[in-house]
Amino acid sequence: MAQTRSGSKLTWNILSYAVLIVLALLSVFPLLWMLLTSFKVEDDIVTRTMVYFPTRFTLDSYVALWNQSGYPILVINSLVTTLMTVAICLFTGTIASYAFSRFNFPGRTPLMLGYLVVRMFPAVLMIIPLFIVMRNLGLFDTSLGLAVAYTSFLLPLFVWMLKGFFDAAPKELENAARIDGSTRIGAMFRIVIPIARNGLVATCVFVAIAAWNEYLFALMLTSSTGSRTWPVGLQLMVGEFQLPWGMLAAGGIISIIPVIVLFALVQRVMVAGITAGAVKG
Amino acid sequence: MSRGPSITAMPPPRNMWDAINPVRLLGELSETRYWMYLLLLPSALLITAIVLFPTVYGFQLSFTEMRLNRPAGNGAFVGLKHYARMLSDPIFWVSLRNTAVWVTASIVIEFGVGLIAALALNRNLPGTKVLAVLILIPYFLPNVVAGNMWALMLDARVGVINDLLVKLGFLAEYKAWFADPNTAMAAAIFIEAWHSFPFFTLLIMAGLKGIPADLYKAADIDGAGPFAQLRLITLPMLRTIIAAAVILRVIGLVNSPDLLLILTQGGPGRSTQVLSLYAFQNAYKDFNFGYAGALSVVMFVLLMLFAWAYIRLSKVNQD
Repeated sequence: MAQTRSGSKLTWNILSYAVLIVLALLSVFPLLWMLLTSFKVEDDIVTRTMVYFPTRFTLDSYVALWNQSGYPILVINSLVTTLMTVAICLFTGTIASYAFSRFNFPGRTPLMLGYLVVRMFPAVLMIIPLFIVMRNLGLFDTSLGLAVAYTSFLLPLFVWMLKGFFDAAPKELENAARIDGSTRIGAMFRIVIPIARNGLVATCVFVAIAAWNEYLFALMLTSSTGSRTWPVGLQLMVGEFQLPWGMLAAGGIISIIPVIVLFALVQRVMVAGITAGAVKG
Repeated sequence: MSRGPSITAMPPPRNMWDAINPVRLLGELSETRYWMYLLLLPSALLITAIVLFPTVYGFQLSFTEMRLNRPAGNGAFVGLKHYARMLSDPIFWVSLRNTAVWVTASIVIEFGVGLIAALALNRNLPGTKVLAVLILIPYFLPNVVAGNMWALMLDARVGVINDLLVKLGFLAEYKAWFADPNTAMAAAIFIEAWHSFPFFTLLIMAGLKGIPADLYKAADIDGAGPFAQLRLITLPMLRTIIAAAVILRVIGLVNSPDLLLILTQGGPGRSTQVLSLYAFQNAYKDFNFGYAGALSVVMFVLLMLFAWAYIRLSKVNQD
């Protein structure tokens, strides 16, 4: 009996490794292929017989991308929009999240549910009115307008995720500070926010990645290189040139480097935050 | 904390500066009964302005004529005209059917693969932490990159997947996956599932950590095999989190046309046309905001009905 159980345990362990290795390969292979493609010369990409490893290693695609397509401007636009989105979420969302986490007040539950339900609203349903409103306010085709639009789906997410981190911060220190004569706002900024610092950073990174990656709102709400972000610019290249696979791959690689770096840096805390929010919600 | 200013009382202002010192004033304000409402005010105002107002405006648009490329008659109330048009619009019905296929197939695959990955990772075998990070990567990749990466790999002339499938003997020759109406949707669903299955892995892993190990020990003693344990312990214990994950994912799948917009634009023919894409194209290409608004309202109502029914059903099962 004991023998068959340890035998079956071994089988399951082997099966687990097999499944995980296959999935990990499947997850990473497209990225590796894109990386290889970005270093290939055109003749190695479009060939009669498939060339797996570049016969000649080249940075041509990166150079072409940088010089021809206005990619640097797109990247800067994306950076500005992303930073604005994070700033808006940080200023308005942190205090809201703190209020939900620390106070019990009439209307708390419906308000919190409200912050959750707005995520159900179809993006398309909001994009059209936002387009009209932004045009009337002169915010159409500006980074600020786009950042404000991103806030519509990222702020509720920010508040909910951060609330999980605030909930996890012990209340005792805060109470001690209050007894020592600190005001509520003093306790919030000097005690609670520093304790929840890692969570705050992870939440910001999550929002930043989402804003950096966003495509649909950017497509609708920008119309010129003055505010166009890199996903829109990259996708426009598909139509502009004769399928420039090398440049597309190079653009993809450049654009996801910040995502991968940020993800690697805060992945543990961020994953805990996403899941904690979801478990409680 | 909600008892108000009973613990500390601010000393009265001693001089002019104290009376206008913003830090002191904020401190005093934070001791009032309305402090939490003040904290919520900025975000609530923002959400009202950029979510609630546009949504109400969107509903209103769906009852009006609004074509930006034909300014004459814009803003006129047309009642249920757009909704009536929908009933006789064959593209709407095709989109509705495709949406059902797109959402159902994606959810089933994402949940299945996500669950298997989470169960395997939850065994905490040595070395699997690294694999976990690799498996989560697709979820954080931009749609534009994920879509174009796969478009390159599935390309009819230069696609590496085609080459591998031919070499392994599964295909006779390279296949144009996105040019064939019979395979375009399947290929798009595969890419979508690749992109989003880690979401389920993430949430299910968190849920698995919350299941007491005693339950499995007891089941072991009773002689329940691994599949019985999955069916009788794991899945029932995960019911809430699975419900939350499914609802969030369905919302995402119904609402975001991004991936299909990048991969197929609804083609070939109408074989990958879904509702969100149709609504977006009506607004973005044809500037027919009224009809696009009506299509979005229908999506919204369908989602609300789905969420309501799903929550009802999963609660009914619990009792």
